Amino acid sequence: MKVNLQDYNTDIKNTWCPGCGNFAIHMALKKALVDLGKHPREVVMVFDIGCNGNGADKIEGFRVKGLHGRAIPLAVGCHLANRKMTVIADAGDGGVLHEGIDHLIHAVRSNYDITLLIHNNESFSLTTGQITATTKKNKPMYAFPDGKTEGDINIGELVLSLNPSFYARGFSGDPNGLSEIIKAGIKHKGFSVIEIVQICPTYSPENSLDFLKSKMINVAPTDDISKALKRVTNKEKMYTGVIYQNKKIKDYYSNLKNRKDKKSELVNEVKNYSISSILSDLE
Amino acid sequence: MEERISVKFGGQSGQGINLLGQLISRALKESNYHVFGYREYPSIIKGGFASYQIDFGSSEILSPEKKCDILACIAQEALEEYLFTVSSNGVIFHSVKDFEFSEKAKEYINKNSIKVIYIDLKKMAQQQKAPAIMENMIMLGSIWKVLGQDIKTLTDSVVKYFSKKEGIDIEAEKRCLNAGYSLEEIKDDEIKDVPKSIDKNWEKSLILTGNQAVALGAISAGCRAYYAYPMTPSTPILELLGDTYMKTGILVKQAESEITAVQMVLGSMYMGARAFTATSGGGFDLMTESISMSAMTEIPLVIVLGQRAGASTGLPTWTGASDIDVAVHSGHGEFPRCVLAASDPIESYELIQEAFNIAEVYQLPVILLTEKHVAESMFNISNLPKAKKIKRGLSQNGTKRYLVTKSGISPRWLPMPGRKTYLTNSDEHDEYGVSSESDIDTKIMTEKRMKKVETLSKTIPAPKYFGDKDPTIVFVGMGSVKNAVLDAMKISRRRIGYLHYKYIYPLKYEKILQFAKDGVKIVLIENNFNNGFGRLIKEESNFYITNTLKKYNGRPFFVDDILEYLKQ
Repeated sequence: MKVNLQDYNTDIKNTWCPGCGNFAIHMALKKALVDLGKHPREVVMVFDIGCNGNGADKIEGFRVKGLHGRAIPLAVGCHLANRKMTVIADAGDGGVLHEGIDHLIHAVRSNYDITLLIHNNESFSLTTGQITATTKKNKPMYAFPDGKTEGDINIGELVLSLNPSFYARGFSGDPNGLSEIIKAGIKHKGFSVIEIVQICPTYSPENSLDFLKSKMINVAPTDDISKALKRVTNKEKMYTGVIYQNKKIKDYYSNLKNRKDKKSELVNEVKNYSISSILSDLE
Repeated sequence: MEERISVKFGGQSGQGINLLGQLISRALKESNYHVFGYREYPSIIKGGFASYQIDFGSSEILSPEKKCDILACIAQEALEEYLFTVSSNGVIFHSVKDFEFSEKAKEYINKNSIKVIYIDLKKMAQQQKAPAIMENMIMLGSIWKVLGQDIKTLTDSVVKYFSKKEGIDIEAEKRCLNAGYSLEEIKDDEIKDVPKSIDKNWEKSLILTGNQAVALGAISAGCRAYYAYPMTPSTPILELLGDTYMKTGILVKQAESEITAVQMVLGSMYMGARAFTATSGGGFDLMTESISMSAMTEIPLVIVLGQRAGASTGLPTWTGASDIDVAVHSGHGEFPRCVLAASDPIESYELIQEAFNIAEVYQLPVILLTEKHVAESMFNISNLPKAKKIKRGLSQNGTKRYLVTKSGISPRWLPMPGRKTYLTNSDEHDEYGVSSESDIDTKIMTEKRMKKVETLSKTIPAPKYFGDKDPTIVFVGMGSVKNAVLDAMKISRRRIGYLHYKYIYPLKYEKILQFAKDGVKIVLIENNFNNGFGRLIKEESNFYITNTLKKYNGRPFFVDDILEYLKQ
């Protein structure tokens, strides 16, 4: 079945601020899915709470808008039940680095075959601009006129320290480039972490399109972790593209011994099962 | 108390007390007795004191009694702790070298004509050329002799058990059993009043714990994924499902937290697989936001809440039933739910299946309550009932996922190619699932969801009544209290009734009101301080039960507790 961009549009009115990076991120996501020939009916998108989550009714597909910080485990539960569906978890820097950071860490080490989009706009924006672990030092934020007291979390550095299989960085100011990155993430068999540097004209106006563009350098994938680390820790430049990919790490489900020869998905297996042989083992 | 005998093993945690309890239970069952096994153990891996008490008789035994006829201790602390629980004319076996009984202990032993037998297990095991780990088998043989049972049944049963394990010297096990059985000091000793076994086919019955039955019920019901974080007393569900995973094909995942576990369940249930999680109070607290989410998004959810004693960390390995309130009321906002409670393996097996059916058909969270006393005690049951028919309430396709209907139940179709896409939304939403903050949508959708409680309530079975047709006193309870009351009924001459609740919420209270109208004395029996169940009854029926029998010391109701209450 041929699929085009219109199939992913909904008639729900947009509620993001003018100039919000989410418009471009949705465009990039839709284009990636269309380019891959995925119909909305083959896609499950799990949304966190925040400005990104307000996009749940603005794109077609099977969508679940769950709880703040919990997009990853909810998406993993979906994926494990039916791997025929393409599962995407969509969250912000608040949900991933604050409320649900444990899920990020364990999902990387488990290498579930889903794609995570982290909308990094350096702020809790829907709650009107609170500090996150990516907010710049000394920047006045909600309730903290002198900025944050705590240190930062560098998403790339954190993820690369966990022996990941895929880490990429895209930019909402470059939707075409971002679309290619999302495509690579969806195609990758494993946990694809995609950090998206997102423009937020309301709460991070200093990150203007021109300013960020002047820092961006697009790179080709590497499987050399030390090279990748150098890329993400560079203070002057911002590397985009698939920063690191390791195709040798098997995804979680492929490692399950008891699912190895099963052709069906869990969703196809709900029926009464006999317990008599287990009972006799218990005897 | 006649017609029943109780054997208690005491030792340190990690000394193999559980194995002794399991072996003697099997052998007694093979000898056509009915058994009940009750475990006490500390929340540590080595040391402290632990016990496994086996009560048995020729008729059904459902609960432990406070005293034991035989105490067998292999560690000093346990001997000191349990010494005063031995009945008069009872026997104490122990292997604590140079143990000095206190003056108080000596007096108790003399007064109650208790026989004390020290066995040098270490030396005897060496004589039998058996490794130290088999010392317990000598003790087992001696107990078997004092119970007046045939050594062949015990030997066969033990051999059968160990034949499944690798690297066990079965001949040495046999030599140890025989050495214990032929111990010179007990050659003329036999406990009086051991009931004769009657052929009731108990040898063909099953010995199961509540946890095992939950896991088996879930397998029967087509559960395909289990996500959990370890927490006593529910952890053995993970054990059984994990140990059998090659056979069942179930995806078994130990999640990084209870929040992860419950969210993974929601994800898999949303897609249309059956999945569940089990935990105890603390882990359940972490899941409550997700319970609220299940109700709002109308994604089916099944959680097993194994209750233990105490607030906070409390008494991790002891029993209680003080989580009724959180099961019924936890989670923010107003939303429908269903709460069930199991008293034994049969109910555990049936109710977990029922939980999946209700969760899927009504699209709401279902919480199945167990207790440590149900989850980890060994029950002897004739058989498990036939598996329940799977009911899912699924539609092939649809347009409005949250369609307003008379029953409150909207069509649910699974996300897969060929089906209409939709948004499953934890925000308040319209019939399509699109976020809405409109006053009308909020009101209509709240009413639609809450309507499901009423619809569900119509199909919920009434509580089951046990006992006298014309009772003077009726106990009302849920969970494990049933077992002690039913055991007391067999002993007491009073006209007792027991009204047993498996379906806790929505609550059917008409029978209670009927007993009140008939002037029967109603007694609420609960394993907690605050009468959570009584308060729920009051909330739902506006009827307040003033007579209460409650226990909140981490121990279950023993049959003696009920008999003592009846004497008052």
